[in-house]
Amino acid sequence: MKAVILAAGEGRRLRPFTSSEPKVMIPVANKPILQYVVEALVSNDIHDIIMVVGYHQEKIKSFFGDGDEFDARISYIEQPKQLGTAHALYQARNSVEENFIVLPGDNLVSTDTIDDLVNEGKTSSVLITTSDEPSKYGVVSMENGIVEDIAEKPEHSISHHISTGIYYLSRDVFSRIEQLMADNTYDLTSVLNSLKDIRELNGIHTESMWMDAVYPWDLLSLNSAALHELATANRGMVEKGVIIKGPVSIGEGSVIKGGAYIEGPAIIGEGCEIGPHTCILPSSSIGNDCTVGAHTIICNSIVMDGARIGYKSILESSIIGEGVSIGAGFVSHTDVVDIIIEGHLERVENIGCMVAEDTTMGGGVTCYPGVIIGDRCDIRTGSLLRDNVLPGSSVR
Amino acid sequence: MCGIVGYTGKNNAREILLKGLGRLEYRGYDSAGVALAGESGIYIQKKKGRLKELDAKEIPSTNIGIGHTRWATHGKPSNENSHPFSDCTGDIAIVHNGIIDNFIHLKEDLINKGHEFTSETDSEIISHLLEEHFNGDLVDTLKIVVKMLKGSFAICALQKDSKNIAVARNQSPLVIGLGVGENFVASDVPAILDYTNEVKYLEDGDVALLTPNEVRIWDSQDALVERDVVEIQWTIEDAEKGGYEHYMLKEIHEQPKAIHASLLGRLGGFTEVDLGKYDTEFIRLISCGTSYHAALVGKYLIEDIARIPCTAELASEYRYSSPSELHPFTILISQSGETADTIAAAKEAKRRGCKTLAVTNVMNSSITREVDEVIFTHAGPEIGVAATKTFTTQVIMMYLIAIELGLKTKRLLRETAQEYRDELRRIPRHVRVLLDRSEDIERVSEKLIGADDIFFVGRHLNYPVALEGALKLKEIAYIHSAGYPAGELKHGPFALLTNRTPVVAISVKDHTFEKMLGNIGEIASRDSPIIAVGDHDPELEKLSDDLITVPSVPTLFSPILVNVVLQLLAYYTAYKLECAIDKPRNLAKSVTVE
Repeated sequence: MKAVILAAGEGRRLRPFTSSEPKVMIPVANKPILQYVVEALVSNDIHDIIMVVGYHQEKIKSFFGDGDEFDARISYIEQPKQLGTAHALYQARNSVEENFIVLPGDNLVSTDTIDDLVNEGKTSSVLITTSDEPSKYGVVSMENGIVEDIAEKPEHSISHHISTGIYYLSRDVFSRIEQLMADNTYDLTSVLNSLKDIRELNGIHTESMWMDAVYPWDLLSLNSAALHELATANRGMVEKGVIIKGPVSIGEGSVIKGGAYIEGPAIIGEGCEIGPHTCILPSSSIGNDCTVGAHTIICNSIVMDGARIGYKSILESSIIGEGVSIGAGFVSHTDVVDIIIEGHLERVENIGCMVAEDTTMGGGVTCYPGVIIGDRCDIRTGSLLRDNVLPGSSVR
Repeated sequence: MCGIVGYTGKNNAREILLKGLGRLEYRGYDSAGVALAGESGIYIQKKKGRLKELDAKEIPSTNIGIGHTRWATHGKPSNENSHPFSDCTGDIAIVHNGIIDNFIHLKEDLINKGHEFTSETDSEIISHLLEEHFNGDLVDTLKIVVKMLKGSFAICALQKDSKNIAVARNQSPLVIGLGVGENFVASDVPAILDYTNEVKYLEDGDVALLTPNEVRIWDSQDALVERDVVEIQWTIEDAEKGGYEHYMLKEIHEQPKAIHASLLGRLGGFTEVDLGKYDTEFIRLISCGTSYHAALVGKYLIEDIARIPCTAELASEYRYSSPSELHPFTILISQSGETADTIAAAKEAKRRGCKTLAVTNVMNSSITREVDEVIFTHAGPEIGVAATKTFTTQVIMMYLIAIELGLKTKRLLRETAQEYRDELRRIPRHVRVLLDRSEDIERVSEKLIGADDIFFVGRHLNYPVALEGALKLKEIAYIHSAGYPAGELKHGPFALLTNRTPVVAISVKDHTFEKMLGNIGEIASRDSPIIAVGDHDPELEKLSDDLITVPSVPTLFSPILVNVVLQLLAYYTAYKLECAIDKPRNLAKSVTVE
């Protein structure tokens, strides 16, 4: 069986972390989200994968190549304009056989998640999970395992059941997509909703992992969930006097200087230098080629490839993008914050700061909770950042 | 990563295996071997080194055989450790790709039962297990054996006096090619695409039997199963290039990864080489072609960072130069490790009593046997004739060597060394950012179309980069181009400047920047179109027609980034001129003649 992964969108709501790569390539626990999807398919013996790509597709292609490294056979189809998920799937119409799986590339799933769908073996099925915030997703009402309605992001939701966007479909869907596209409807939910009249869409419930990052701060819970699967591995150089507790993975060529205290689950990529007396606390991911200065504390955070954190900094519940350079004495404060986003108020528990790629900061910068700093900013020494900073800004 | 291939049918297995292995060389090429079953038993030939090391004339013509090619990432390739492996009787031979996790335990068992091993590999246990449990049927026995193995494997096995090949797969790729009166098996489709485009992909736990006329597959439950026949639509070229139009572009884009790999475990100093034990009062770097440009960057770095007098010489000239009283520490740079002139220079340096160090990308290549010490660049296999990622990683090695020597001479402060190493750690990120700006560079390349002569100028560390930029353009776009130190223009080449000779001027904000601006002003007054590559500056922007900026790094590290721009400039120019980018006319990847 083949699987079609929809990976063409930008993931606009995750800006500024999508300025040079699509949402599917954002790393959690040091692997792009899309890699978890591919691995879940492969471990269910689904090796033939069609990726529908668009926004910054070169990032996806150069990472996955022909799939050899992932024990998959990956082919790519371009969706030149990202009109919608049904339109994306339609691009793959000549590449799939009678039955196939369709799934989004930007949700964190496990082997069991895919197994739950495949095991039922019913074509025309949608995988359903429960959510505390159903109104962010397609809310599903069901009767006797048959889907009665999928309401996309309803204001008042009547059920906690939501669609995961993972489907097991047959080729028949393409004629239906054609019909709806003729009416300028391009999203897959609407297409499948049209099946409800003929009571053809089965709802299959899953309790296995399914997580979505809607806004940047959601990446932290994906990261922490992905780290739960972490196995201890040390391929780097750990100096004397380092204390390591719980599952901690240290990549090849990384050096952990003496006096460091690392409490897992935590992952440190390849070629990093973690300075003396640093403290890395649970649910932290540090990418490849990062430098962390002496006496710095990192807790529940994502630090992406090539970032540099100066001496004696405090990084809590924060996200640091690729290539960010931060001077000594940086502090990110955390708190419960109400963030206004897309015209509504969103309460975020325990959030630090979010800094996008290639921003540089001088020493002694302090960030208020929930602050988002765009990519390629230049923040001078001693700045106090209370509000979001737009990409490319200079702060003195 | 290894590649395996197998054939049974009516044609000469030798030709098919060698051609197939050639197609798999992108998976690695530091040892190769074949086993063929004929009337007089099984014939095995295996050699460390590239596939061409195999003596094709010696290989008998039969209709069935298996082959293997390997790329060692750790450990030394040798004849003994090369595949195929046979059992004690020589009646069975196997090739294997993957890692057997529980081999130590199995091997002890086999040794206790009297089996004799010739190698230290995990793979060899498979042939002995087949011998130990042989029940008269090869594929039946293989089914028993794979149940004992833990780990990843793709296995091909054959036995004397038989036209059958038994194969098994678990977590390593294996594909069966279907022919008429013949069948194929390989790690990847390109190996068999010359003969058939109908394939069956095996799944984990599958065991299969190939005869000339049929293919039978059993799953892990030992049930006879059918696997779908897949018709391959693409060509060999597409398969190996992983989505890129040319190897060169693929390899340019692989540079962040290659730099990262080349730095791994080395930012605290080399562990494989102790430069401290050698006399390094005076250093000589020797190489050819692109590697010579890496050597020239190395010369500036060693002089700047370690303050050690240093020369960079061409191997083909050094060989015939006269020896002196001095015995410089001699560093030889060759991507392939097979460059004839560089190898001869290594021998000559040794004869003159110099200590020698080779910097190469290929494990166990010829040059590694001629020198006292070796540093590997770890760039991975490079297929495109024009060197890209291997040049970049050679330059990275120059930084590491210069820093190490600087610490040794105490001319480099420890804290500065730390700063330099932190900068190097971030280079992969900077290159990645630069690659994102490919479109801008592609646009500028338009300016080079139609020119008959192009000049590249730079100063100091970026002078060798100007030479390399000119060489890349010559090699792949067939445009006459020449690199000069910017200060030398006035001493001759200036006579050639017109409004039809574009000049690529490298200008980063180092201590030569003011002088560079002056030079660019002079060039502008001759109406030559100017493409500036370097740091952002209003004055520079005004003087030049186009300015391609690189991510801002301390100028000491600018050569790596500027060079990536020039690689892309050459690539897109050649692309627009529809040149044979990966195989330029009259050129070979590794120059093994003098």
